[in-house]
Amino acid sequence: MKKLVTVLGAFFAVLLACPLSVFAAEGSKAPSTVPVWLCIPFAGLLLCIAVMPLVKAEWWESHQPLVVALWIILMVVPFAFVYGAGKTAETVLDCIVNDYLTFIILLFGLFCVSGNITMEGDFAGSPRVNVGLLALGTLLASCIGTTGASMLMVRPVIKMNSWRKRKGHIMIFFIFMVSNMGGCLTPIGDPPLLMGFMRGVPFFWSLHLFPVLIFNMVILLFVFYQIDKRSYRKDIANGRKPDIRKPGTQFRLDGLHNIIFLVMIVGAVILSGVLPGMSAFQDAAGNVRGIHLFGEVTLTFPALIEIVIILLAAFLSFKTTDKQIRIRNHFTWGAIQEVAVLFIGIFITMQPALMLLKAVGPNLGVTEPAEMFWATGALSSFLDNTPTYLVFLTTAGTLAFTNGITTTLGTVPTKILSAISCGAVFMGANTYIGNAPNFMVKAISDENGVKMPSFFGYMLWSVAFLVPVFIIDMFVFFL
Amino acid sequence: MQDNQEKCKELAIRIYNLDEEVYKCVGSSLGRTFTGQKETTIRHLAALMYTKPDGHLLRSELALISNMARTIRDKSERRRLMIEYDSILKEIESLPDTFGKTDIVDKARISLNNLIARRQNEISENDHLIICISRTQGSGGNDIGFELADQLQINYYDAEIFDQVMKRLQADKNAVSDTGNFERFDKYRKKKHTDLKTWFREFNRYHGLPKQDAVFFNMSDLICELAKSEDCVIMGRCADAILKNNHIPHISLFISAPFQVRVQHVMDIRNMNLKQAVRFLKQMDKQHKKYYEFYTGEKWGKPENYDLCINSANYGLKDTIELIQRMLDQKVH
Repeated sequence: MKKLVTVLGAFFAVLLACPLSVFAAEGSKAPSTVPVWLCIPFAGLLLCIAVMPLVKAEWWESHQPLVVALWIILMVVPFAFVYGAGKTAETVLDCIVNDYLTFIILLFGLFCVSGNITMEGDFAGSPRVNVGLLALGTLLASCIGTTGASMLMVRPVIKMNSWRKRKGHIMIFFIFMVSNMGGCLTPIGDPPLLMGFMRGVPFFWSLHLFPVLIFNMVILLFVFYQIDKRSYRKDIANGRKPDIRKPGTQFRLDGLHNIIFLVMIVGAVILSGVLPGMSAFQDAAGNVRGIHLFGEVTLTFPALIEIVIILLAAFLSFKTTDKQIRIRNHFTWGAIQEVAVLFIGIFITMQPALMLLKAVGPNLGVTEPAEMFWATGALSSFLDNTPTYLVFLTTAGTLAFTNGITTTLGTVPTKILSAISCGAVFMGANTYIGNAPNFMVKAISDENGVKMPSFFGYMLWSVAFLVPVFIIDMFVFFL
Repeated sequence: MQDNQEKCKELAIRIYNLDEEVYKCVGSSLGRTFTGQKETTIRHLAALMYTKPDGHLLRSELALISNMARTIRDKSERRRLMIEYDSILKEIESLPDTFGKTDIVDKARISLNNLIARRQNEISENDHLIICISRTQGSGGNDIGFELADQLQINYYDAEIFDQVMKRLQADKNAVSDTGNFERFDKYRKKKHTDLKTWFREFNRYHGLPKQDAVFFNMSDLICELAKSEDCVIMGRCADAILKNNHIPHISLFISAPFQVRVQHVMDIRNMNLKQAVRFLKQMDKQHKKYYEFYTGEKWGKPENYDLCINSANYGLKDTIELIQRMLDQKVH
């Protein structure tokens, strides 16, 4: 505990030494400044997620909701002091209704439906099989979303590699590729691209990112193959061997009808992007219609439709699938519960940081594609990548370019749009909290005998293997 | 010291059984925490406790079991298993820190040594005399192994092992390129072009594994079965490492000879000229080394990996066999 107090103390001291507030863009409404110290609860929560499982694992596991609630209170009370109770309630409610609710329901729906599909077979996880699975998952992510592909593929990957001792790296590269990178080809793939689509970026424009994805896939799969080969050889040398006594491979997918519900969920996500642009869902002023809740907070009808469809799909999936499939899949609520608890804290405490980003983002002087790539990416590693993407897309739109993709935010050159998209989608893989499926994959792996690295341990992997790839990306595509 | 070892082993068995029970209660098919062989896993766990009572490795292994145990639906079962988990944890924490300091003897290895194990009565009636012979090409290792088996009146396995493995895999025998000396083994050599249909057929037949790996895994099973059922001499095939991993007592020998002597031997028996013989031996040594290192992670021919290393050129075939027999006669019988 002493160690934790020292680390926390040092961290706060550094933060408090920072400028106390950052001035918002000229012309913005009061309050004109966003105090930097309001971001302390967010940093504190992240630090808890990173450090607590290492120093006090069991206590952390049973007290997560309390800790998260504490950090939320520590953010809300000072926020109310600075901005007033009304503005605080509006900010928190807006965050819960418009960001968190759709986020967690989408995750919940995909978690439920994919948990009802199980693979029975005796394929043995070997480097080449794993490379194939990762490649398949990466490409699938653009069709059914990174979360959908992650939830669908994570259990078969764990199962095929259950004979092996060293398998943490497989799940790490799974997070790199299936849970993040793979989502760059379509707006269905990752929420930031859906936001771009809603702002006028053509649906199939993201296919322009295919060369970047293939380039990264080739590098990462090659590196993965080499690492996996070494681990595979060590496992064999230690006497591990898969059960392959029967000649020929048995392979069967049970609960396959759940693909229909998966398609339903993907359809709901697409609708949530398409419906707001339709006149039937807009009022006279062009605002999206919905149920007014408080202040300027409205639960829009497209969001409501999305929620209803997803929940219906999850319900039908449970009703129509044999319970035995879930048991064989080791389906538990633990993973989704952990993500739900941690991410409500992250979403709420993140608000001052996002406000700060919105205030200073346009004034950062970021104008070049490479700068956009790193700025979007670095912030997406810790913050929600959707608002980060929007901030930089808006910034790019205000730079008065005349050639490029015409969006509702202005014209954005293809190279800059590619850089922002890649930064937001790819660099969510840098940390466990960079993208929702990351934590889900970690939690499911933890429950199924896979030793996953700690928060910082995972970051070491991303620094060692992802950041060099991003540097190469910058030189090849964004300079 | 002995008490502590017993205690560690007992705790290791309890941990293994706990994992087994937890997995059973969960009903999952995704794989349990300890997927290795029971005997090996227990020894590994005991070693973790014995050498590092407060080591992070053991703790993280236990944490994985508790992660799974917490997801058990049946509350009473969950409670029962968590109580067992807590009790194991407490007992591990109460282990003394310093009892791991022992002498130079590698206890894990010594218990696998057929000679010493027999002397110390650590070998059961069901264990057999298994002699694993690794050799360099041209050192006369095969002749020594064959003659030794003949004199001891036990079975000799070399190419036969491959035949049986192939039967098990229901493979076409003609398709097997390796006939016992690893001539074609090279995982890194560019393979001949195979059409998609063949590729899929092989992919399905070998469970997605490369053919050579699948053959090795089946061969490992077969070697273990043989070692458990009869006395025998097994030539090569990484049998020493396979038996070590499966904790089956055996004697491992490495037979070699100076390169020039081997060249002469190969020239004599294979009708090769000097250049051909040198090239052949270098290639064979390289492939033997690659095969052994690929599947065992150990250095081929490194003295520490064997019970006895013999330079057959210093004795000749007949005396080498006699030397080995003398050692066996004195210790075994």
